[in-house]
Amino acid sequence: MRHAIADAVLAVGILLELGAVVGTVAMRDAYERLHYSGPATLGALAIAVSIWIASGPSTIALQAILLAAFLLVSSPVLAHFTARAIREWSRGDWRAGDDDEGRS
Amino acid sequence: MNAFLIAAIVLAAAIVPLGWVAFRGTAGDGVVAVELAGVLASLALLAAAKGLERQPFASLALVLAVCSFAGSLVFARFLELGARR
Repeated sequence: MRHAIADAVLAVGILLELGAVVGTVAMRDAYERLHYSGPATLGALAIAVSIWIASGPSTIALQAILLAAFLLVSSPVLAHFTARAIREWSRGDWRAGDDDEGRS
Repeated sequence: MNAFLIAAIVLAAAIVPLGWVAFRGTAGDGVVAVELAGVLASLALLAAAKGLERQPFASLALVLAVCSFAGSLVFARFLELGARR
């Protein structure tokens, strides 16, 4: 029973990751692609929880939760920094007005 | 072959389309694709660690996640610096 639940949660995590990849590939520009780091982080959390369910409290489960926590904290920081960098790259200055046409 | 090994293979295979985006798209698209590829590689290592019951691979996944975060910040910074030249 425990392994069936772990496999189900793992499947949810993999589906979220694949959804993030499909979204990143299908979107038109870098800003739209950037939105799909959110589902990828949630997928990481699901995979970590499935490892915890499958192996119980152990070193590998602790490392999985630590990895998911790191991704949860670092992903928004990275998304903000990247969006700002792309804006500066496409418009010359991140404070440029919205009427400017971008390169990306 | 257990579910975690299959998951590791699927996650590793999912990096291929991101490589295509990085190769074909603009520099901004490439940075976004590389960031997501870093997350997928970390999770593939983690799933492989569980599937093979080899705990050191999980440590490798943690180190890769931190290095990938730092590397993505550097790529984004280069993108910004490239815009100023």
